[in-house]
Amino acid sequence: MSEKKQQVSRRQFLNYTLTGVGGFMAAGMLVPMLRMAVDPVLQTSEEGDLKSVDLSVDDITNEPQLVEWKIDQVDGWYESEVTKSAWVFKDDNGDIIAHSPVCKHLGCNVTWEGSEKYPNEYFCPCHDGRYYKDGTNVPGTPPLAPLDEFDQKVENGMLYLGKAKPREEA
Amino acid sequence: MKSGKGMKFVGDSRVRAERTSQIPKDYSEYPGRTEAFWPNFLLKEWLVGSVFLIGFLTLVLAHPSPLENVADPTIIGYTPLPDWYFLFLYELLKYEFASGAYTLLGILVIPGLAFGGLFLAPFLDNGPGRRPPKRPVAVLMMLLGLTAVVWLTYESAAAVDWEQLAEDNEIVLADEVDIDEDDPGYEIYQDNCMSCHGGSLEGGPAGPSLLESEHDVDEIKEIAVDGIGEMPSGIFSGSDDELETLAEFIVDVTGDDED
Amino acid sequence: MLQKIYDWIDERIDITPIWRDIADHEVPEHVNPAHHFSAFVYCFGGLTFFVLVIQILSGMFLTMYYVPDIENAWNSVYYLQTEVAHGQIVRGMHHWGASVTIVMLLLHTMRVFFQGAYKKPRELNWMVGVLMFFIVLGLGFTGYLLPWDNKSYFATQVGLEIAEQVPFIGPEIKTLLAGDAEIVGAQTLTRFFAIHVFFLPGALFALLAAHFVLIRRQGIAGPL
Repeated sequence: MSEKKQQVSRRQFLNYTLTGVGGFMAAGMLVPMLRMAVDPVLQTSEEGDLKSVDLSVDDITNEPQLVEWKIDQVDGWYESEVTKSAWVFKDDNGDIIAHSPVCKHLGCNVTWEGSEKYPNEYFCPCHDGRYYKDGTNVPGTPPLAPLDEFDQKVENGMLYLGKAKPREEA
Repeated sequence: MKSGKGMKFVGDSRVRAERTSQIPKDYSEYPGRTEAFWPNFLLKEWLVGSVFLIGFLTLVLAHPSPLENVADPTIIGYTPLPDWYFLFLYELLKYEFASGAYTLLGILVIPGLAFGGLFLAPFLDNGPGRRPPKRPVAVLMMLLGLTAVVWLTYESAAAVDWEQLAEDNEIVLADEVDIDEDDPGYEIYQDNCMSCHGGSLEGGPAGPSLLESEHDVDEIKEIAVDGIGEMPSGIFSGSDDELETLAEFIVDVTGDDED
Repeated sequence: MLQKIYDWIDERIDITPIWRDIADHEVPEHVNPAHHFSAFVYCFGGLTFFVLVIQILSGMFLTMYYVPDIENAWNSVYYLQTEVAHGQIVRGMHHWGASVTIVMLLLHTMRVFFQGAYKKPRELNWMVGVLMFFIVLGLGFTGYLLPWDNKSYFATQVGLEIAEQVPFIGPEIKTLLAGDAEIVGAQTLTRFFAIHVFFLPGALFALLAAHFVLIRRQGIAGPL
């Protein structure tokens, strides 16, 4: 930079002021609107209640089975009853595992032993994604993360499921 | 403008390769100080705009936009009012010379003449003079029209009890009230009372809410048959058994709050 | 960098004259409130445009939440007003903006009228302006059906009845607007929504562009 003083010309000064005033007007108009538009992003998702899936613990086997249950969903102004589903089984330790059927690749639904070529694996028909029984994605297939697992509890011998969450360590 | 030989263009387009300087048009034919639109004049305009915006946002924050109850085509005693800028048309149609046999006058001829005149003003008022004293007819017509619109709007607005209207139209959320719609009394209620007192006893412009009612079964039976206050007699039509069921249903609903 | 991008575009499509024409023209003294305070009347047109911009923007954002369906319209408006942060303000801007547009439009029209600024050669621009006035009234009328509250329903009902009384083609006009010969309902709401959000604004933009081009062509009317 040279030592020469940078003179702000009258025209430049007016231009800066104009930009400032224009910015104020744009902000005054747009701030409420943008705040309204981004509102859903800023909502904290609340912990959902656990709901009974109408399945006795005794009926859960080592083989994943598809259970379906209904929850009341509030979607903005629209309240409805939607069906959720999960693959439920007992692992080798006897712990109950409920896998979300939603493929971690692009969101299709996976099926236990959905392909005859891959026994003992979850199979996603969309892009041949595969997961082992514990939900871990088979390396070399499209999915990049293991299947989500549902929050769960057992009360009076019945299974209750909540929200599907990504598994802790991938 | 030069063209043809000697002109060079960008590629095969019609955009000229050599730029001539952009000489802005000026207002030298007007006496006095002119100034550049950008940034000098625009800055002043935008300052005015900023003040305007602040005023506007103050209005918005001070007065939340109104919302009435969800549309109910069977509501009784509701006074439909258009927004203020249509009040003058609304009022016009109340007059005898603009309704009934003269409806066409009210909906087509008068507004048509007014708006048609406005649209064609430059051709109706086609003299050379621009100052108002030089075109008295046009200016008078406009003043007359303006006065009529202002007066009609005022007449219309003055006849309305705005506070009462706002009170009548306060939003009642149906699901705040727990009503057993399978109760046999509800069916009788639907047939006899709902048109005025609303689908969930919340009341409306023609009848008060029944939810805060403190009448007992016998009193309700009497009111349903004989009326009370503005409610005329003979509204209820049905057997005595039905009357009993109805009254018990209403007491049931209103009594719930006290438990 | 920006300069290079600009030069690259400018060489190809010659955009400099377009914005120089807007930016560099001179504004005469008689419309400048800094020289004559009474010149503030010349601000009305610009302010009308400013409110219209507010209307367009707030309307665009409102459609993020609004649904034109008789089951859900009222619920969605109620939801955005009570549950969504600043929803009340944005709906307020659109609601009050409608009234303010009409007020500013009226003031602007009166300014032009009483100054006789519509005289030759500006007849065409006046007619374009009056057409925009009608469109704005149409926007007001179609707009207040959309929340589907009692006021919406009955005001629309009345408006449609008026249309029906037009001789010869009245019933056809009503059906065209309402989507059904008798019911004011689901089809009416979607029609009014389409008119309010696409047809009338489209026409308004075209006329607005014409209005501005004509002003640049003809210049502001001289002092009285």
